[in-house]
This record gives sequence, structure tokens and C-alpha cells, in this order.
Amino acid sequence: MTGVRKSFGSVAALDGADFYLRHGEIHALLGENGAGKSTLMNILYGLELRDGGEILIDGHPVDFQTPQDAVAEGLGMVHQHFKLVPRLTVIENVILGGKDSRAFRLPDLETSARKLEDLAETYGLPISARDRVSNLSVGEQQRVEILRSLYFGARTLILDEPTASLTPLEVRQLLAKLRDLARAGTSIIIITHHLDEVMESADRVTVLRSGSNVGTLEASETSQLELARMMVGRDVGILTQSDAIRDQKVDQSVKDKNRPVLRLSGVDASSRVAETGKETVARRGLFDLSLEIHPGEIVAVAGVEGNGQAELEDVLSGFLEVDQGEFAIDGKDCTTCSPEDLLNLGAGYIPSDRYRRGLIGGLSVAVNVSYDRIGEAPVGNRFWVDSKELMRLGDRAVEEYSIAVRGAGELAGTLSGGNAQRVVIARALAKELRLLVAAQPTRGLDVGAIEFIWGLLEEQRSRGLATLLITTDLDEVMALSDRVYVMYRGRLSEVPRDRESIGLAMGGANKQGEESL
Amino acid sequence: MDWSDVFGGAALIPLLNAAIRLAIPTGLAAVGESFCQKSGVLNLSVEGMMLTGALTAYLGAYYSGSLWVGVPAGIGGGLLVGVLMALFTLKFKTEQVINGIALVLLAQAATSFTFEELFGDLTLTGRFEPMKNWEIPGLSSIPGVGTVLFNQSPLVYLSVVLIFAIWYLLNRTMFGLAVKAVGDRPAAADAAGISVTRTRWVAILVSGAMSGLGGVVLVVGQLGMFMQNVTAGRGWVAIALVIFGRWKPLRVMAGALLFGLTDAIQLRIQAASGGIESNVPFELFQAMPYLVTIAVVVFASARARRSGEPEALGRPFFKGAQIEA
Amino acid sequence: MAVTGALVTGGILLVLVGANPVDAYVEMVKGTFGSWFDVSLVLTEMVPLVIIGLGLVIAFKARIWNIGAEGQFMFGALVGGAFALRVPLQNQFLAIPAVLLVGALAGALWGLLVAAARVRWRVNEVISSLLLNYVALFVFAYAVRKPLRDPGGFKPTSERVPDQFVLGDVPVDEIRVHVGIVVALLLVPLVGFLVNRSPFGMRATMFGMNPEAAQAAGVNASKMTLRIMMLSGALAGLAGIIQVLGSELRLSNNMSTGYGFTAIVVALIARLRPFGVLLAAAFLGALTLGGDVIQRTQQVPRVLTMVIQAIFVLFLLLADRRRSN
Repeated sequence: MTGVRKSFGSVAALDGADFYLRHGEIHALLGENGAGKSTLMNILYGLELRDGGEILIDGHPVDFQTPQDAVAEGLGMVHQHFKLVPRLTVIENVILGGKDSRAFRLPDLETSARKLEDLAETYGLPISARDRVSNLSVGEQQRVEILRSLYFGARTLILDEPTASLTPLEVRQLLAKLRDLARAGTSIIIITHHLDEVMESADRVTVLRSGSNVGTLEASETSQLELARMMVGRDVGILTQSDAIRDQKVDQSVKDKNRPVLRLSGVDASSRVAETGKETVARRGLFDLSLEIHPGEIVAVAGVEGNGQAELEDVLSGFLEVDQGEFAIDGKDCTTCSPEDLLNLGAGYIPSDRYRRGLIGGLSVAVNVSYDRIGEAPVGNRFWVDSKELMRLGDRAVEEYSIAVRGAGELAGTLSGGNAQRVVIARALAKELRLLVAAQPTRGLDVGAIEFIWGLLEEQRSRGLATLLITTDLDEVMALSDRVYVMYRGRLSEVPRDRESIGLAMGGANKQGEESL
Repeated sequence: MDWSDVFGGAALIPLLNAAIRLAIPTGLAAVGESFCQKSGVLNLSVEGMMLTGALTAYLGAYYSGSLWVGVPAGIGGGLLVGVLMALFTLKFKTEQVINGIALVLLAQAATSFTFEELFGDLTLTGRFEPMKNWEIPGLSSIPGVGTVLFNQSPLVYLSVVLIFAIWYLLNRTMFGLAVKAVGDRPAAADAAGISVTRTRWVAILVSGAMSGLGGVVLVVGQLGMFMQNVTAGRGWVAIALVIFGRWKPLRVMAGALLFGLTDAIQLRIQAASGGIESNVPFELFQAMPYLVTIAVVVFASARARRSGEPEALGRPFFKGAQIEA
Repeated sequence: MAVTGALVTGGILLVLVGANPVDAYVEMVKGTFGSWFDVSLVLTEMVPLVIIGLGLVIAFKARIWNIGAEGQFMFGALVGGAFALRVPLQNQFLAIPAVLLVGALAGALWGLLVAAARVRWRVNEVISSLLLNYVALFVFAYAVRKPLRDPGGFKPTSERVPDQFVLGDVPVDEIRVHVGIVVALLLVPLVGFLVNRSPFGMRATMFGMNPEAAQAAGVNASKMTLRIMMLSGALAGLAGIIQVLGSELRLSNNMSTGYGFTAIVVALIARLRPFGVLLAAAFLGALTLGGDVIQRTQQVPRVLTMVIQAIFVLFLLLADRRRSN
């Protein structure tokens, strides 16, 4: 691929990016969020059309209008968010993409299933073709995605952030599998921002920054530090600062061991979900959770997607009712609390899905900054909304939190990820808080926004706020937390604050590497 | 009044026969709607589709003099509303709930307007003899069951075949697989090379054709006439039955049979009550089919997790949009 | 754009039925604004449309699709009317507020059923509210046929409501409109404040735009749904009893010409703005009466105006989509 260009509106996502892939290599495509990695690969795969530039495969130019064109040329892509239909079985998902369009007959499921299972055997990716996808783990779903590509004859695989929701153990297994595939002649592109994985698996690395490439290196001839510099274009504090320095900081924080702000004890919560609009998602439960947080500490709950973090978030924000056990804030019982009750008890909430639960796109930034205080001072009173004061508070938040808008009157729906999250946090911190529940507060944000938000959370800690940090990001756990819990299959256990212990616990293993129950 | 006219032994077989007959129009529409909703489109225009189908079927049969001409005419009427529904929902991407309701209002007004313009009156003009029943030789002479099941209008047999056809289409074909994928995870279906828009177009048109045929059965197969709002809310009942049947065509049809039975009972009561001076509160029985429908929906919603509900129901699909549930 | 589109379509229909569209529209305008008498008729027609329309604005803002206003209107009229006929309050200043309250409460109750089913069992409000329309109509029909029947009357209607319950005309020369218009006009700024300036209205808007975010910000979804449906139903019920006391003076089956549905169009045309409701109601009130005029003078079915209304909504949806792009 040479000189590929692509713009969205006035923003250039790709500005003359080049990318060369060799046969049978693993090639990492590295870059920050918004660097253009995904866009470049989407263009290669025919998901988006390029504005300019050339794509050559084995020396002849190609021009994919749809993913099907790309598949026909031997490409396969595994997206970060799997493109699978949970209600259907594995084999149904696979044949869904087939060119076999005898619309009024179901193709021979038996034959297809056998073919798929043979393929799975060959590549050492065991799968049962008749299982419903909704019953599979994340790792197994990824396997289905890879097999689906191979089923349609892919010789080049593109994997977009393949490790984002895997346990450290699963990551290692995946990377090993990918090396096997490459040795067998498949070319593999991995889109990622995890430097250690690049070093572990890739033959070569291409780094993108702001839509063009900074360079392509042999993995064996570079270092994580060099790659990090190439990614951001400067030295980055959070990436070079060692964990040890932060360990010292933890000890300085003042804690009051006697008065927990948040106390969970023996909490069970089942898959019933409180009414959330029209959505209901079948969810697994939480079992026997116990946890305490004191003023002035940040407690992290680490874990891999699908192990109960989302349910814990729902319990602590009042969206999911506790079935049994104790859930109290400042000693007051919260087992049947609504989101409203929790707010009144001084529990702030930064939701993991900021667009769905944290913002109202059709309203102005000013309203979004204060909408949880409608009906109380200073935004008017029970009978009246003071729109002037609303605007004033909005303007102040825009300034204090450096929200990039022309004015607080602008609609929140137009905000980018980082700015949207600043609005969410501005609203949460505008109140007098006792507890802050921060769920995936920096997911998908760029380094600048991450630094800003981490700074805010640390500042709140020094003021004595108790924070529960729910995150899948190990770096974030290490950067912020005083104590660490890991969530695995709906259960919570406290683990020592070091990467190895946390990583193992996230995969359900203890330090000896045994699978625990 | 004599209650044995309604529930007595002699009345039972005709009652069940009528229940099936009355269940068919609603059942057709409901099964078509379940198919449509499976693709993720909340089509609220069913009542309009049925009503338009009823009118065009009437006109076709009336002017041609042949009842069978009414069949394609009625299906065409339902399809016409289907095309409008699809245009607004899929092409213009307006709010599905509102354009569905607006199309019902349009169909109600437009059918009345057309009928009044052509016949000058909204009362009973131009009645014709509805389609005769076909007794299936042999089967219809089975005592009891035979009379209930096999002495029906040919349209009823056709409808039953079509209802099974929809079930087959949804559960045994590639296209059905595509419909389910599009209704649950449109982005995943799109990535697999399935056109979300085209699939939903077909699904809406299936709903239009089935609802239109429902109008045909009502007018050509049962009443032999048209009047203002002749469908009397059956389209809305059909939508309710989809929830009751958890989006499964055959279960939806079972719900329609329950509706048909209540309707048959209330018609009997009305007939047996002796008219306007009767002390029987037959109006309250007239309300019964609607009450029963509300009750079964409440029952179904309260009891079951909505396991069959398409995940993307009612949500428009924007190709290439990054945010997906 | 939407106005032009709808009127042009209406014009085409007029041509199709052999009338001169220009003449027809001129007649319509003359027949609705040509004299104080005609203006009075338009104003009278506006009263239920404004009051119901305001209630629907509140509901639609929160994206609660109440299409059961017709039933809430009839139920309010029925219960309020029964109160007036059966409760011997003599003092006018006590009787009228009491009966209005009763009518509003009855409407609120009918709305509450819908909200309760949605909150408790997640029953889609579109379906339940629509089906309850039929139930209300049949209950009403029974009441005026039996328990509330005027024994001397030929048709099934109630007796005339006692004088102390009757709403008089506004004391303005030339204009003959009952004081219901004053209630309607007072409600406009009141609902305007509620929707745009009050915490309740703000929270309802938030809930409508993003229910999950609103809940995270402390909006209680159940309470919100219950309150909004009750308020919306109360206004429809109020419109119903005002229609009885100001216009009909007795309960009769055909006292509504579909006000509950026309009011949906009113709310949508008003783009959910309370002050817009006034204009939209004037427009549709005039259109309805214009329908009567052209039926008289041009021999065109009056239901044409309903066609125009529905098309108007569809054009409006298109226009809104253009604006948002």
C-alpha cells in the first residue's frame, strides 16, 4: 500500500500512509488511537474506500469495493469487536458469509460443519461447530473469527486489537498460534498498541502517527522505548515511569482504616437487569463479593471482559439490584438503591459506556455538565431551571477541563471520545462526593486525555475521595491503585499489587500457575 | 338470552370452526409481522397494510366479478403500504414508530376517501357473496375435527400453507439466517456481505403481503363487503401477538387462534343477545378480544425473558457507523 | 415545505376526483375564516385538539408513544359525564371544577394502565394504549345504551347534562365559543413552562433522548413513565369532559371525530412545542371544518382532509430528516 489517503469531513485520517507486507511474516501495525491504523486496514479490507493511493497484492493493483472483494483475494479480518451473531451457532455464523446464496435452502450444514472442524483440527484451534456463539468465551469467539477467515481461504489475516479482551494466558496462547500460522505460510497483520506483544510476536513493526508512517523496523532491532517514542513523537512520562516509583507514592497516601466509605460483603447479584430503556442483555451473575474502600484510596478491580466487571459497575451505579449480601455507603444500606439514591448518598459515577450512559447527545454541553443537578441549587430550584446559571457552570467546566468546543452551548453529541469523557468527569466531580465509581475511565482515549484523567483521579485521592476503579487496563491499575482486586468468573479476590500476580489472577490462575476454582 | 346458543354442545363445532376462520386474518398479519421484526424493523403500519389490502381486494373482486381477482389485488394493496413503510424506514431513516403510525392514519383516511368517492356512501353498498367453503373430501367427514378443520374457505387453507412457508423461510433457509443476523447484529451481517437494507426491504414487503392477504381473507373470504375501518384494530392485535408468540411464527399463530376464539364467542353473544334493547352487556364482550390480547401480552412479557426479541429491533442501521451495541 | 407538499398532494387528489382544487381550497378558507360564525366553529374544534395535543407533547418529549388519547378522551367524557348526570351538585362554582377534576382523573387512570403495564411488565405502550382505545369505546357504548341511556331518546345517548354543569360561552360579542377555549389557552403557557423551564420537563426530555443516561443521572424511569402517562391521560380526559359540557351536552357514541388521533398529528406538526400546538390545532381545526365545506360545496368526501393530515406528517418527517443532515 503506498500513499494511501483518507479524510472524514475536514479531518485527514490518513495522509499518504505506506505499508508493505511480506509473505509469511507477522507484521505489527502500531500507533496511538486516531493514528489511522484501523482506517488503513479497513481500506485494505474493502470496508472503507480510499481517497487516494495504491494497493498492490503480489505486484498487481487491486481495488476492493467491499470486504467480499477482499475475501476473494485471500484476505481475512478479525475485528476488535467480533462480527458474530450470538443467537446463531458457530457453523451458521461461518456460512453466513459464504457466497453460497441459495437463498431458499439451507446449505448442507453437516458438510460445512465437518469441513470447519477438520480445518480447526489442522490448525490446532479446536471448536465445536454446533455450539451457540452466545455460549462461547471471548477467546473461543476469536477462534471462530480466525477459522471463519481460514474457511474462506484467507492467506493474509488482519487482526484488529486481538488481545484487547483476552487474559494474559490467552494472549500468550494466541500469539503462539499466530506464529504457527505464519510458519505455515499465512501472512498476519496485527493492529495493536501493546508494545510488549509486538516485541514478543512480530517480525516487523510499522508505526503510524497522525495518518502517516513514522517508519518500519525489524522487531529484533528495536526496543519498547524506541517504539513508544515513535508512537507519540515525544518522551512519555507514564510509559517510562517505573512501577516502583508509584509504589512509594501509595505509601504516602493518608488512609482511615476504620471508616470504610464503601462496603460490600457477601454480595450476590443475578442476571436480572433493572429496566434500562428497552435493552436487556442476558448477563452472568456476581457471587459472594466482599470489598471495602476507605477515604483517600483508589482501589482497582481488574479483570477481563465478561468476568463480571460490567455487573459490578451496574450494582454500584444502581442499575442492578443486589440479591443478597451487604452493600453500604458510609454505613447506609444500599442493597435496593436506585441510581438516584446512590447519587444522593454522594456516589459519583463515570460509566464505562460514556455515550450510552454518560452523555445526552441531543443536549448542550452545558446541560450535560449539570444535568444530574436539575431541580436543585445552584441550577434553579424544584420548580424552575435557571438556564443562565446552567450556561455559566457549563462555560466554567469547559475552561477547567479543557473541553475542546466553541462554547458550552454546543451539542454534546458532536464531542470526540476524550472531550466526551471530560464532560462526564466534570459532571461527576461537580458534586460533593464521598465515593467515585470510575469504570474504564480512559478506554479508547489518547495519551493526552489519559494523562489528564489520571491526574484528576490522583488529585481527588489526595483530597480524601474514595475511588473504585474498574478497569481492564493493567497499566492503569499499576499507575493509580493503592490496592488491587481481580474479578474472575463473577468472583472477587484481592491480589498483591504486582503485574505478574494480577495478570495470573485475571486468567483464573494463582501464582503457582494452577487453575483455581 | 339463551347461553346454550353460545356454549352449548350443538354450538361448539360451529364455534371452533368460526374461531379458526376469524383467527386467520390476524394470524397472517401477525406471522408476517414476526418475520419483519426478526429483521429488526418494528413495523407499526400493519393495521394500514391490512386495511389497504381489504379495500383493494374488495375493489378487485367487486369490479372483476371474480372473488379470486381480489386475492392478488389485496396482496398488492398491502405491498403498497409496505413500500411506503420501507421507503421511510430504510431509505429516509425516519423514526419507525412515527412513520408506522402515520401510515396507519393515512391508510384509514385514504381507504375511506376512496370508498366514499367510488360508492358515495360509507354504509353497506355493493355486497357480494363471500367465497364458499371447500370441504376437503374424506377429511371433512371426520366427526367433529373434520368440520372444524376441513370445512373452510380455500383462502384459509392457502393461509395455513403460507404461515408454514414463513416458518420454513425463517428457520430452514439461508435467507432466514440472514434475516435473523440482520435483526440481531446488523453490523456483523453487513461484514459478512449481507445487505442489511435489502434484507429488511424484503422483510417489510413480506409483512405487507401477509397483512394484505389478511385483508383479503376478511373481505373476500368472510364479509363480502367493505366499510370504514373494517379491520377494527386487528393489525394492532397482530403486533401484540408477535410479543406473545416470542417472535416464533407458529407460536404467534397459536396466539391468533386464541384471539379468533374470543372473537367467535363474542360474535355469538352479540347475535344471541337480541339487539339494542338487550340486557346483556354485549359491548363488554365486544371489548373482550382486545382485553384478552392485552392480557396475553402482559402474561407473556411478565413470565418470560424476551428470549426471541431481536436485539436491534427498531434501530436503524447506518453502514460504517462505529458505535454498535 | 411540508405544508406545500401536503396541499399539493391534496390538490392532486381533488383533481383526480374531478373537483377544481383552487376552488376547493378557496371554499375551505372562506368557509373557515369567512365569518365570525365560522371562526367560532374553528375555535370550538380547536379546544379538544389543543388540550389533548399538549398532553401528547409531554408524552412524546419523553418518547413515550401514547396513541391511546382517543380512549382516554372517551373515558374522561364517560366518567365525567356520569358524574354530572348522577351527582346532584347544585352550585355551579363547585360543580364545574369537580366534574372537570373527575374527567381528568378518569383519563389519568386510563393512561396509568398503559404506564403500569410498561413499567411492571415492559409492555410496549403503543400497543397497549391503542388496544385500550377499543376497550374504552365499547365500555362507553354500553354505558350510553344501558345505564346512562336517555329513556326518551331514540338513539343510544344519555340525557342532557344538568344546567349547572354546562360550560357557557365566552362573553365576547360575535364569537360563540364555550369557555373550554379559555382553559385550553391557559394550559398552553402552563404546559410550555412545564416542558421547557421546569426540572420535570427537563428530566422528561433527558429521559426521551437517552433513558439510560437519564437514569444514571437520577431520573427514576418508572416514576417518570407513570407521571407522564397520567398527565397525558389527564389532559385527554379533561378534553373529553370539556367536550361533553361545552359542546355536546350529552354523551353520545359519535362525540369524537377521532380527536385523539388528530391530536397526534397536532403534536407532531407542532414539533412538540407547546405554543406550536396552538397553531397546529388551528390549522387542523380549520382543515376539518374545511372538509365539511368542500363536502357541501364540491361534493368531495370530507375525509380528504384526513388524508391531507397524514400526508402532512409524512412530509414533515422528510423535512426534519433533511434538517438534521
